[in-house]
Amino acid sequence: MTKSRSSRKKSSKSSPVRKRSGLWRFLFRAGALGLVLLAGWMVYLDAVVTSRFEGRRFEVPSRVYARPLELYDGASVSASGLARELELAGYRAGDGVRAGTYQRNGGRFVISARGFRFPDGEEPRRRLSLVVSGDRVQSFSVVAGPDSPIVRLEPAQIGGIYPSHREDRVLVRLDEVPELLPLGLMAIEDRQFYEHYGVAPLSIARAMLANIKAGQIVQGGSTLTQQLVKNFFLTRDQTLLRKGNEALMSVLLEWHYEKDDILETYLNEVYLGQAGNRSINGFGLASQFFFGEPLKDLDVHQIALLIGMVKGPSYYNPRRHPERAKARRDLVLSEMAEAGLISADDAARAIRQPLNVSARPSYTDNRYPAYIDLVRRHLGRDYREEDLQSEGLRIFTTLDPAVQDASEKAVRDTLPRLARGETREALEAALVVTAKDTGEVLALVGGKDPEFAGFNRAVDARRPIGSLIKPFTYLAALEQADRYTLITPVQDRAFTLEFDDGRLWQPKNFDGEERGEVPLHLALSRSYNLPAVRVGLDVGIPRVQEVLRAFGVTTPISDYPSLLLGSMSLTPAEVAQLYQGLATSGFNTPLRTIREVTDARNEPLSRYSLKVDRVADPAAVHLVQYAMQETMQEGTGRSAYLTLPDRLTLAGKTGTTDQGRDSWFAGFSGDYLAVAWVGRDDNGPTVLTGASGALPVWSAMMAQLPQHGFSPVMPDGVQYHWVNAREQALTGERCEDARLVPFIAGSEPQQRLDCDGQFGRQIRSWFEGLFR
Amino acid sequence: MNKTTITRAGCLAMALGLAGCASGPGGGSIYVPMGGDDRSSAPEPPRSAEPQEESEPRVWRKSEQPEVSEPEAPATRSPSYRESGDELPAAAVSLIRDADQRLAQGDSAGAIARLERAQRIAPRSSEVYFKLAEAYVSGDNLGAAEQFTLKGLSLAGNDSRMQRSGWLLLADIRRARGNVAGADQAEARAGAL
Repeated sequence: MTKSRSSRKKSSKSSPVRKRSGLWRFLFRAGALGLVLLAGWMVYLDAVVTSRFEGRRFEVPSRVYARPLELYDGASVSASGLARELELAGYRAGDGVRAGTYQRNGGRFVISARGFRFPDGEEPRRRLSLVVSGDRVQSFSVVAGPDSPIVRLEPAQIGGIYPSHREDRVLVRLDEVPELLPLGLMAIEDRQFYEHYGVAPLSIARAMLANIKAGQIVQGGSTLTQQLVKNFFLTRDQTLLRKGNEALMSVLLEWHYEKDDILETYLNEVYLGQAGNRSINGFGLASQFFFGEPLKDLDVHQIALLIGMVKGPSYYNPRRHPERAKARRDLVLSEMAEAGLISADDAARAIRQPLNVSARPSYTDNRYPAYIDLVRRHLGRDYREEDLQSEGLRIFTTLDPAVQDASEKAVRDTLPRLARGETREALEAALVVTAKDTGEVLALVGGKDPEFAGFNRAVDARRPIGSLIKPFTYLAALEQADRYTLITPVQDRAFTLEFDDGRLWQPKNFDGEERGEVPLHLALSRSYNLPAVRVGLDVGIPRVQEVLRAFGVTTPISDYPSLLLGSMSLTPAEVAQLYQGLATSGFNTPLRTIREVTDARNEPLSRYSLKVDRVADPAAVHLVQYAMQETMQEGTGRSAYLTLPDRLTLAGKTGTTDQGRDSWFAGFSGDYLAVAWVGRDDNGPTVLTGASGALPVWSAMMAQLPQHGFSPVMPDGVQYHWVNAREQALTGERCEDARLVPFIAGSEPQQRLDCDGQFGRQIRSWFEGLFR
Repeated sequence: MNKTTITRAGCLAMALGLAGCASGPGGGSIYVPMGGDDRSSAPEPPRSAEPQEESEPRVWRKSEQPEVSEPEAPATRSPSYRESGDELPAAAVSLIRDADQRLAQGDSAGAIARLERAQRIAPRSSEVYFKLAEAYVSGDNLGAAEQFTLKGLSLAGNDSRMQRSGWLLLADIRRARGNVAGADQAEARAGAL
């Protein structure tokens, strides 16, 4: 300050001095300005560095998991299904001793489970031994690890919800990573990491010398801090200014933060690969991505490969350039041995190892777009999109990969067989599969190309449901046990309805025939229209609407009689909800795709629990289930048994709308409920009926799953009797036309018919029907 | 929460625990391995050993085979029903036991998580639903508890011991909810067994 004042005084006096001092003054001023600017720049950089680092809030995408496979004696799974499940969860065929490997010999499996932190607790590492026979798990035992009669495998990751910059990572903590990783990293990239102040001029000089000697760039002098800064804040262009900024920011970073913090951030930030438009950041994800294993389980040679890849993730991509990658890895291994991190023996042993990279990324994005779409809609009710993209939430869904695969295959294989020519091109399909008793959505197919994320017909195609409505009409009737039983004769005769405005409505049967009097169960299992409308009008449209609403219809329901032939439009997912109550004997079970959501640290955020709600008398529903089973055995659904084994008892209902615009099938076994729809997006006509369009898709799916037959428990207040429907009488099992039919107690016929056609008095014994 | 509810729930717990110990896996329903009728006799069908063959469209198998191999089932087929629900497999029993411990520690959420796992394994066993009802009683969600009891009752079939446990549980829950008439009715049902 004093100097500057004095020089100013001087300069105002003599001209030569003034000239010289003018230059000085200029230089000084420029220097001062420079300093001020630099200081300002530093302040700015400091703010950038601290704000970005302070927050250090990596945007971590949310991970979406399939349901974990539960293994126990009696678990239902095929050997190939188990192998597929293991592959999806990132297991490799191997010795079954190393965590994450399994050994298979026919139906015998030895699985070394890695363990997983589930929202409700840790599933520890275990070695399991089991045999799959007859599509069931047998001789299950825990060979090593805490004993348990039931073990969950890690769930397969089926997708992610990514931030807009598409960076993907699995956060790791420095104290969790194998020690060799940071040590090896420093040995290769930055030996003085714990000594320098962000930049290492000596290393730069050494690198320059080496580069000049070699005539090309062989070494980079960047410290880990500089690399982090480069990754973190700067663009990729190589300019001097950028180099300067990088150095300044590195110094600032070091000034503010501990070495360990910087190292940990580096481990999570470094770019290590690309999966489509998603970038693989950090060692945590790279480990999953290249080896299908968590970082903590990696072997020496695997750690070395990842360290080696830092230098050039695409150049040393082990999947694309295995030789290059192996040479680089082996170099890293010998460097590590030289640095004393591993013994020479270990290095030699590791060098003999193959790369051991998983054949393909252990998961691909959006393998199941329609399902993830539904999951996102459900999440949207409780979570903000930005949180889903950045908070690293863990979303545990109910997707069953085996069922999903079966569903996709059924749609893909069946659809082309259903029609020819232009219709064949235009045909689309949707399929929803749920677990019958839990309401969990196990699989969802949104169109004929299941891997294409487009119009999701399973949740967005709202189409008239046709005859799928009939079980609800008949349920409304059968709830009035004094008026209707399964053998009540109903009229299959044409009639005309005249509306107030003079319009006429004349419903017809699909085949145009009329059969006169038919028993109610037959009217339902053969899906005759005329009796359905007559019965519906008799119990009243409002009552039918009430039943529909109780079973889960939330959209407005028309009160025109055409409702009784299914003019109401629903999506396949809504139909699945509606039929859930029929399948579970009158208990509405809300459909779920998500079991739980936790934050990145496994703290539970939401739990979507099983709910049941009794919406109808189980006894009346049991009677409807009887007729729906008859549908499969003798009625409109019987062609299912062309594909399915006879032992698999099923219940279901076909639905067809005018000119085959919509072909529906909704049905269930003991374990699964599925709804299939086939039709055209332009709502054009097809040659299909429910039985020839949707049912083949449905059956093709069911045929691939081991499962229990449908055999409902007889509810309280139901009795089975042998009856002769034509004569409206109880009869003997061996008599002609005898049929074992359930009745709500007291509604069974009062007269008795002998086999020789003589009426007698009824023997009032309720177990008569039961124990025949 | 009234005391009898809890006491009775406890008794039920013990009864159910014993029941669980006695039963093996399976239960009454028919298990059908995928795709075939004839597989239960063969220990391991050869095609399962070869994953590639798995992708064959087995679905259309029958139509490609001569009619002779068709079993003559249609004549004997008739709608199926049964008189009681499934018994608990050992895996479910162990989960229920685990849930009991959580419940004893007052962790009803943890108990429910385990019981839901048990329910997925044994969805047609009334025990699991009664247990869920019990967990909801201790979590003070009597509405859900009542629904789960009803669900369990719908699967109790002709097992009068199970029926009785269910009706008594229902009576207690209804009484705790202030539904005296409903409670009396349920108690009467229990008494009639």
